[in-house]
Amino acid sequence: MTTDRWTNRLSEYLDGDLSENEQTALELHLQTCADCTSVLADLRRVVHRARSLRELAPPHDLWPAIANRIGATRTQANEPIDLTFRRKIRRRWAFTLPQLAAAGIALMMMSGGAVWLLRTGDTRATTPVPAIGVSPSESPAVTVAMRPNASESYAAAVADLERVLAEGRGRLDSTTVRVIEQNLAAIDRAIAEAQRALESDSANLYLNSHLAETMRRKLDLLRRAAALVPVS
Amino acid sequence: MLLNLLTGTLALAYAQQLDTTLTAARGQRLDVVASSGELTVRAWDRNAVRVESSASGRDRIEVSTSATAVSIRTHGRHDSDSEIQLRISVPAWMAMSLSGVNTSMKLQGVRAPITAETVEGDVDVTGGEGLISLRSVQGSVKLRGARGRISVNSVNEDVEVANSAGDVMAQTVNGEITLRVVDAASVDASTVNGDIWYSGPIRSGGRYAFSTHNGDIGLTVAEGTSASVAVSTFSGEFESEFPVPLRGTRKGKGFSFTLGSGSAQVTLESFQGTIELVRPGSENDPARRKPDQED
Repeated sequence: MTTDRWTNRLSEYLDGDLSENEQTALELHLQTCADCTSVLADLRRVVHRARSLRELAPPHDLWPAIANRIGATRTQANEPIDLTFRRKIRRRWAFTLPQLAAAGIALMMMSGGAVWLLRTGDTRATTPVPAIGVSPSESPAVTVAMRPNASESYAAAVADLERVLAEGRGRLDSTTVRVIEQNLAAIDRAIAEAQRALESDSANLYLNSHLAETMRRKLDLLRRAAALVPVS
Repeated sequence: MLLNLLTGTLALAYAQQLDTTLTAARGQRLDVVASSGELTVRAWDRNAVRVESSASGRDRIEVSTSATAVSIRTHGRHDSDSEIQLRISVPAWMAMSLSGVNTSMKLQGVRAPITAETVEGDVDVTGGEGLISLRSVQGSVKLRGARGRISVNSVNEDVEVANSAGDVMAQTVNGEITLRVVDAASVDASTVNGDIWYSGPIRSGGRYAFSTHNGDIGLTVAEGTSASVAVSTFSGEFESEFPVPLRGTRKGKGFSFTLGSGSAQVTLESFQGTIELVRPGSENDPARRKPDQED
């Protein structure tokens, strides 16, 4: 994929931050640039997925552990988060192109953050969706900064859930266990195929996004399966 | 039949055949936890909740009511033979939350929010308004005639939404997703092993995302549709019953094109399946592939 002067301004376009002239020029450009159109579609898809996540907020004291797990940083680490305020602000989605592929992983890791909640026994709560790359003036006090070791965090989250599932295996119906294992295996095969495809085309946005989404699905299924384990 | 007109708290435990009717007031919801068996809920024209069951002597059913809910709990024997048949009649306005393990669920005629979740068993719903969330792990999920914000989810079986309107999120891992005669401004459908079929209007300004790893995607696109369409596949194919104005291709066989002014956003992704655009009413129209025999 090639980049041009508009590629890194697509997220501003999505946020409605371009001037009228710039917006018109970009829309004209989109009519002839397949790459920018595709990137814009990917951006919209990531935003769409983010918006579709539930917005139930966990109790405030859960956040530090979740933030640590998913690699989020707080501008003021020990300050309580005003969740009421956070809901009022308008979401902004200021991605740069290199962040796009990472955005899918970020969403995935937010899902993984619920592992911590699961282990506390509260399966109803879900992690909030921190705004990604918000401007300081509108900062809801939480931004996501992707750690370089995101894959390690993912592996740790998966391992956590697999441990919960293994410990509760004996309390689950054997057919249910078999079905879950078969589906996890199917997801693992899809992940492996996507990874192999990426080996030959590492910059492919679709493949990166698809891999992230499939990995997120594994976390979702593991989380759901672990939640089925009856409390002893 | 026991007719109970009390509005206070009532707790009943039964160890045999049950047939009881409780008055229902607006604002009350139905809350059912049925560990196993078959749960059937149908709407009727009375402001009352009738609970009928064919539980055996060793099964136990508890019914309680409060200002906010009519609650029913079944306690079956801990063996696979325990099959509690629970039939509940409710006012159509009554929102409900149904939970089960080895439980199949069938709902009909409710015009209110529905949450239904089971592990081993199908979920089959006709009706529903507002927030509708249907989930099963090992069973299929079917929804017809619903309006609202719809979330349907399975793990190991098919998911189907038909003759419904509203935002739709449909997911499974090992199963097909069929969205037939669906009028939605927002659709997100994804599976790992399975096909995805969508028939319905593509609304101006709407967002439609379909993704599968091993499977085909079939989408009906009416003439005059205004949409920006992004197609991505790794080793799959793309087919269209009508000419599409391709503007270029991306690596990984991805490309995009615009229909009309491109108002709606449509994303079609299949890692290794065929992505197909068809006209409504054509031979390959998903609405015709699976006629709605249940309605």
